[in-house]
Amino acid sequence: MWTARNPNHTIAVAVAAVAAAAFVGTYWFDPVPPGLPGLGAAEFPRLLCLVLLGLAGLLAMTPGTAPSEGDAPPLDRGAWAVFGICLLFLPALEVIGLWAAIPVFLVAAGLIWGAMPLRILLLNAAGFTLALWVIFAKLFRLTLPTGWLGAALGG
Amino acid sequence: MTGSMKLPRRGLLIGAAAVGSVLSAPAKVRSQAAFPSRIVEIVTHAGVGGGTDITARMMMVQAPAVFGQEFTVVNRTAGSGAQALQYVASKPADGHTIILMTQTHILTQLRNPSLPQFADFIPVARATADPHLVLVRRDSPFRTPADLINAGKERSLRFGGTHVGGTDHVVIFAFGRASGIQRPTLVPFRGGGEVVINVVGGNVDTAVVNPGEAEAQLRAGEVRPLISLAETRLEAFADVPTAKELGIDATGYTLRGFCVFKGTPDDRVARLESGLIEAMSGQVYRTYLQNTGQMPESVTGREAWGAQLTQFNRDGREALQALGLLRG
Amino acid sequence: MEGFLGGLAILIDPYVMLMVLLGTVLGIFVGALPGISGSTTIALLLPMTIAMGPIPAICFLGAIYCAANFGGSITAIMVNAPGDPSASATALEGFKMAEKGQAGLALGISAIASAIGGIVSVFVLIVAAPLLARAAYSFGPPEYFAIALFGLSMCAAIGGDSPLKNLIAAVLGLLIATVGMDLTTGIERFSFGIYELSDGIGFVPVLIGLFAVGEMLDQAAKRVGKAQIIHLDAARVPGWAEFKKCNRSIWVGSAVGTFIGVLPALGATTAALIGYNETRRWSKYKHEFGKGSIEGVAGPEAANNAAVGGSMVPTLALGIPGSATTAIILAGLIVQGVRPGPHLFTEQPTLLYAVFASMLAANLFYLVMGLSMAKLFARISLIPPAILWPSVFVLSVIGAYGPNQSMGDVLVMLVAGVVGFLFRRTGFSPAPLIMGLVLGAMVEETLKQSLIIFDDDLAGFLGRPIALTLFALTITGLLWPMVSRLLRGGRAARA
Repeated sequence: MWTARNPNHTIAVAVAAVAAAAFVGTYWFDPVPPGLPGLGAAEFPRLLCLVLLGLAGLLAMTPGTAPSEGDAPPLDRGAWAVFGICLLFLPALEVIGLWAAIPVFLVAAGLIWGAMPLRILLLNAAGFTLALWVIFAKLFRLTLPTGWLGAALGG
Repeated sequence: MTGSMKLPRRGLLIGAAAVGSVLSAPAKVRSQAAFPSRIVEIVTHAGVGGGTDITARMMMVQAPAVFGQEFTVVNRTAGSGAQALQYVASKPADGHTIILMTQTHILTQLRNPSLPQFADFIPVARATADPHLVLVRRDSPFRTPADLINAGKERSLRFGGTHVGGTDHVVIFAFGRASGIQRPTLVPFRGGGEVVINVVGGNVDTAVVNPGEAEAQLRAGEVRPLISLAETRLEAFADVPTAKELGIDATGYTLRGFCVFKGTPDDRVARLESGLIEAMSGQVYRTYLQNTGQMPESVTGREAWGAQLTQFNRDGREALQALGLLRG
Repeated sequence: MEGFLGGLAILIDPYVMLMVLLGTVLGIFVGALPGISGSTTIALLLPMTIAMGPIPAICFLGAIYCAANFGGSITAIMVNAPGDPSASATALEGFKMAEKGQAGLALGISAIASAIGGIVSVFVLIVAAPLLARAAYSFGPPEYFAIALFGLSMCAAIGGDSPLKNLIAAVLGLLIATVGMDLTTGIERFSFGIYELSDGIGFVPVLIGLFAVGEMLDQAAKRVGKAQIIHLDAARVPGWAEFKKCNRSIWVGSAVGTFIGVLPALGATTAALIGYNETRRWSKYKHEFGKGSIEGVAGPEAANNAAVGGSMVPTLALGIPGSATTAIILAGLIVQGVRPGPHLFTEQPTLLYAVFASMLAANLFYLVMGLSMAKLFARISLIPPAILWPSVFVLSVIGAYGPNQSMGDVLVMLVAGVVGFLFRRTGFSPAPLIMGLVLGAMVEETLKQSLIIFDDDLAGFLGRPIALTLFALTITGLLWPMVSRLLRGGRAARA
């Protein structure tokens, strides 16, 4: 059923939705201070939104083909799990800090990905984290998120 | 571990101050001996490599030796200084978090009353004070300051500057009002370099620019400075009159300097003031100032720095109000 | 020329040579890391270089700048994560080549094209800098508006095979560029009171998300456990035949890159994207584009490295940096005592030629290193995906966070990653979106600036010959495919 439908319809609806939302958003801009010459703040974005709506309409009318199974396999549970831990990486940064989050993430993502023994994943996680720490924290001295844990340790 | 130690110590200080000077004196001595007790953070709103960021890094080269403690730069770039202000306010006011304050921060504060405000910060020391020059291109019809002012009374002059509601805009507005010309038209550009190009290219009538930004063009004679917005005549531009000499009550500087959040103990502010000035009197920072065409007198203590900030806070409020850029 | 030979003599000093070498190695390395660019490195190391003395310091910084631009292509080709924004055009074809098992070829041609582009532009800098720099004054807002339109006019052509989808992606890019404070009115747009958005959506996080994270998500969906069986020639470096094929695109790229670089408001990223399109336009093998064209790597790589030399023209001869990157380089040079301006060429020839000599030497160094290490880098494709792609994600996070130390940027990167993933699944290309994002602010701002300068009268453009010429060029470029089809059709009919 899904493959029979024209995927362009879904894409066009999504694009049109973005354009419409942005168009409505322009009405919430602060007013342009009086006495400024030239174009205002909202004209250009509105023009873009209208163009985008027009293009979405055109797209809806063009026939399209869904990508092949090989190019875009349906998302299985493993894929969603990888997406999920990528998302979890952010709060992990805030809580346990970058240097604790990296090895945990590398091992977890590797396990979900599969086909790699845990031993190698652990070794790689330790080595890679150490290398990154030496480069970014010691050599370039970038301030990276230490998280609450790091802050509590006086980082 | 130091994190858990901080609060009681601050409480102790306040308590000691309340009991009386006899008791507080040893506490102060102890805190002074221990200060700074951990890495000192310099917070800037500039990204790594921005002008203000480089100022911070240049100062930092010799600061660790002076304070016997490591320094680090924290870049909080979002919201034209808003995030940097919030970051400083979120940290304990114990002198270990210093903000590199610029006029941009003050304008951002004025436009966002929910942010930590100007009065919430204690000035410590000034790092740079780069005066503005009003300049025109070589073949401009404006030969003298009077030419420019008279033309400005006939029509609205086009000034090149940075974005609407930014530091340049405020300086241009204040200059325009003090000199009695029609409200200038700001042609906003992305940065000082673009402004200079458009002065030479004839797309704007004039502009306010730091000498360092237009050094090449000034030396090549592509642009002519008409008026200096410094307090007194500049050594390098001895024949350029200041606005004050012309009876125009306006000054314009690009200011950068250090501030700490309110509540920081006074002895620590004093320690930071003397230490930062010492660090900025070192060879590295002096070379930096010299090579970027700034004066060694840029470095000064909290009194002059505070007065200048207060002045700009007032100018900025007036300008933003008149320009219709203040919310609510 | 005498001064230049004197400049080359600077390199005889083993200490200076060591600094150039060190700068080149460091430059390649940081260039390859997403998020740490050459300019960031220069800013971070600047205070340390003061102690080196001006000439070694300038050579060190110059070498970092040149080599970082090349380094960006390594990660772009190997893992579709442009290490430097200017390598985004390289990723378009380069990663496709790596997927086909031609990583060595792509890396090798990137080194060769980069070095040629870089060296050509340094010679242009030596010979014509003071003269070319004058051109910068002739380019005001109306002229930049015309250039930006020219750049945008090709959005329909670059990237995927559906012009309609390309246009949609481009307009989306333009729309993203409007987020944040509007330069000419001071109004915040689409920022919803979030400070992270008031400075606009960062280019680097979008880029990293769109390319690297999007790729990672796509790989996660496919999840091939073992490394793909790479053809035996994965480590093969280009030979004479490949070089000959790319010869034209290297020269086209070098010319485009130098010209774009000379204009202060445009940088290496724009140069690479326009270089990519021009390469395609002049190529005899157009059908290979989008499927891993070696010319599509050579052209943009030549262009972005030529832009390095080009951008030094206004930086050194006018003291006016075109971009944030050159602003940092300029700050680095000024701190070392270089006084940029027309007089630099007569007053401080030693320092100036130190800049030239170090740039030339760095280009040669990374050519040698790039070619000899291409085989080594190509082995990245042998790393098992279960290790490689999570590592790419970690690097992306650091890369997005690093420059501004902002969690908001990491969030933007994640969103861009999802968009990149969806793009891949729906037949969109990131290229036009990047183009729209890069040129978006410029198109709007320069139009508004022009209107202020012209007192709201569009007829003002008629008085700007350079802008009119560029408009004409844009229209010709748009109509040319149609015209040539008509001509060919006519000829065919006659035959």
